[in-house]
Amino acid sequence: MSKFLKAGVVVAAVVGSAVIADIAESAEIAEGEKVFRKCAACHTVGEDAKSRVGPHLNDLFGRTAGTVDGFKYSAAMVAAGEGGLAWDEQSLTQFLVKPREVVSGTKMAFAGLRKSVDVANVLAYLKTFDADMAATVATDEAPEEASAAAETEETPAQPAELPSADHDGPMKLGRLATEDEIAAWDIDIRPDGLGLPPGRGTVAQGEPIYTDNCAVCHGDFGEGIGRWPVLAGGQDTLTNERPIKTVGSYWPYLSTVYDYIRRAMPFGNARSLTDDEVYALTAYVLYLNDIVDDEEFELSPDNFTEIGMPNEDNFIPDTRPAEEHYAEKTEPCMSDCKPGPVKITMRAQVLDVTPDGDEEGGGAID
Amino acid sequence: MSGRNNKSKSGVDTSRRGFLTAGLAGGAALAATGMARANGDPLITEIQDWNRYLGDGVDAAPYGMPSEFEAHVVRRDVPWLTADPVSSVNFTPLHELDGIITPNGLCFERHHGGVAEIDPADHRLMIHGLVERPLVFTMQDLMRFPRENRIYFLECAANSGMEWRGSQLNGCQFTHGMVHCVVYTGVPLKYLLDEAGVKTSGKWLLAEGADAAAMTRSIPIEKALEDCLVAFKMNGEALRPEQGYPVRLVVPGWEGNMWIKWLRRLEVGDEPWGQREETSKYTDLLANGQARRHTWAMEVKSVITSPSPQAPIAHGPGRTVITGLAWSGNGRIDRVDVSLDGGRNWRPARIDGPSISKALHRFYLDIDWDGSEMLLQSRAMDETGMIQPMKDELRAARGENSIYHNNGIQTWHVNGDGVAENVEVS
Repeated sequence: MSKFLKAGVVVAAVVGSAVIADIAESAEIAEGEKVFRKCAACHTVGEDAKSRVGPHLNDLFGRTAGTVDGFKYSAAMVAAGEGGLAWDEQSLTQFLVKPREVVSGTKMAFAGLRKSVDVANVLAYLKTFDADMAATVATDEAPEEASAAAETEETPAQPAELPSADHDGPMKLGRLATEDEIAAWDIDIRPDGLGLPPGRGTVAQGEPIYTDNCAVCHGDFGEGIGRWPVLAGGQDTLTNERPIKTVGSYWPYLSTVYDYIRRAMPFGNARSLTDDEVYALTAYVLYLNDIVDDEEFELSPDNFTEIGMPNEDNFIPDTRPAEEHYAEKTEPCMSDCKPGPVKITMRAQVLDVTPDGDEEGGGAID
Repeated sequence: MSGRNNKSKSGVDTSRRGFLTAGLAGGAALAATGMARANGDPLITEIQDWNRYLGDGVDAAPYGMPSEFEAHVVRRDVPWLTADPVSSVNFTPLHELDGIITPNGLCFERHHGGVAEIDPADHRLMIHGLVERPLVFTMQDLMRFPRENRIYFLECAANSGMEWRGSQLNGCQFTHGMVHCVVYTGVPLKYLLDEAGVKTSGKWLLAEGADAAAMTRSIPIEKALEDCLVAFKMNGEALRPEQGYPVRLVVPGWEGNMWIKWLRRLEVGDEPWGQREETSKYTDLLANGQARRHTWAMEVKSVITSPSPQAPIAHGPGRTVITGLAWSGNGRIDRVDVSLDGGRNWRPARIDGPSISKALHRFYLDIDWDGSEMLLQSRAMDETGMIQPMKDELRAARGENSIYHNNGIQTWHVNGDGVAENVEVS
């Protein structure tokens, strides 16, 4: 069957190549829309587009870099615009492949689009939000040039020129890591402060960052929206029937807050915050938990390890093997182990939360 | 949801019950028409389509999939458990499986920032910290180290975590399905650490993933050198993306969260790092408000997978097979006992198939069921003498807010029709 279907498509293509071109173009835009999901955590397009974490991207083509009103760019981006950088197909292609190489110091944390075809598609999609460019999409051939440019640019980035077998390990496999490589990945912070980067931030600076990036899931006061994690409150609930485990009520170390925000937050746009912003956010989370109460409190490596968390002393080692039911290790009972017939004391069907509809159940897995 | 999962592509109900009912109804309809038919099962006396017409050729399925009649055998999730499916879990359909190996596509998933898509050519693994030589490996480099093949179970520490306060979810897929067991092919972590040269001050290892959660856990160096693997194959083929393709850490017998997927970095240090997943999460809150941490080992555990709520006895009284799984992070399973009366009386089950340390064990109890109600339980014992506790014993020791490490004995109530339910007993 499938052979005949394919043949049919080929015939149609020959007869109606103009139709095919249209289809290809709209496919490009549709693919571009998918690629744009990577951008949408920070950028918006369309009628109600506003600048959020990044500037809005309507009418992008022809725009001088760093010039959307009201958006706070990095100094580097403003300088690039003043130096003559304007967004067109070529500059956007180069930028999207290696943002930090084109504008060193940009606060756009996105690493870049690896595939040339993704760049071409996302530009096709962005053109549909550009009053001047929308009409030209059909005849525009620039994406091909652009992809060629992207590929030539990728070549020098390959680590092929780095030496291999450059060490005397037993099997002579792998190569020595460079200091810059280690610095790029070694982002963990230990409870004793090891790993804290230089920087600083205050509660007051943290509040707007929190409102823009965190409140959508964690709530304005860290109360948690829906089942997203509660960040604040819950003190003195750990022995309750339903304990509320928050940064303030449960977490033993402040370093974990900094480390986790820096590596994994905001959810869906990890590694997008500067070190100063993470200090400010960490200070703000302390404030939400009443661990500091001064809005001008500034957190930095100088005072970081002085902040003790209220619940730190309540963590104990693994004592499971000493539990009574394990410690005995006798031959288990095989007959008449319980007095009289066994009775049912609870049934899952009463609760009825097994997935089959719109149930809301209790409990949690993490 | 179960409706969708019980239908084949053609919309036919392919659950075990539906299948039986359809067969009976077909037979009855034929009998009622009174047409001249050979006496017997029409599936035998009449020529069937699959017996006459040709089937698919060898080019139809370059990567083979299960029969369409198995379309209901899938991982399932519990939407209300978590805020978002991107940071959530789904469950292995244990009630439909047999043997000890889990098929790759049915291994439960748990990830905290979605499934990372990584071209192996773009993947790097770095070892640094307290080592003589900080190193970077490509996947090609990793494949040049000597390899080993090992069968291990992987269990999420939160498996059965929804049952601390009592029976909640009606199916062993949901109560026990955060476990799987496959053959891993990989490089002993020791070889990689030796290549970098761990300094004598190196006591801990931080493992980190390349995903959007940049998952991290601290692991004591003794465990890393003892039996951990850096694995790139499961059941002979490349890791599935949701299991950490192209490379994951294997930490035998210890909680699944430590088996870092998309493994990109190993840092050697002299103290643990107090990461989110070992402080705020994966710590076990006790009734007195204290919390245990570094509760790494998975304790001795078992469950009857059939009959169970999703796998009722459909054939009525007579011979039947009770089967289940047992495992322990401490080593081999020595014995599994089964009770039909809620734990008053026990009899040893038969373990069949290989008995491998820190792997799933399959057990069977073949009985003549008289059609009376049963309260089915299984109880495992491991080679270190640990005996699976009753749920109430665990609650007495830990309270009900631990979330993690619930290895208590599970009870299924089976009624006279063979229908099974998740219950708690006196």
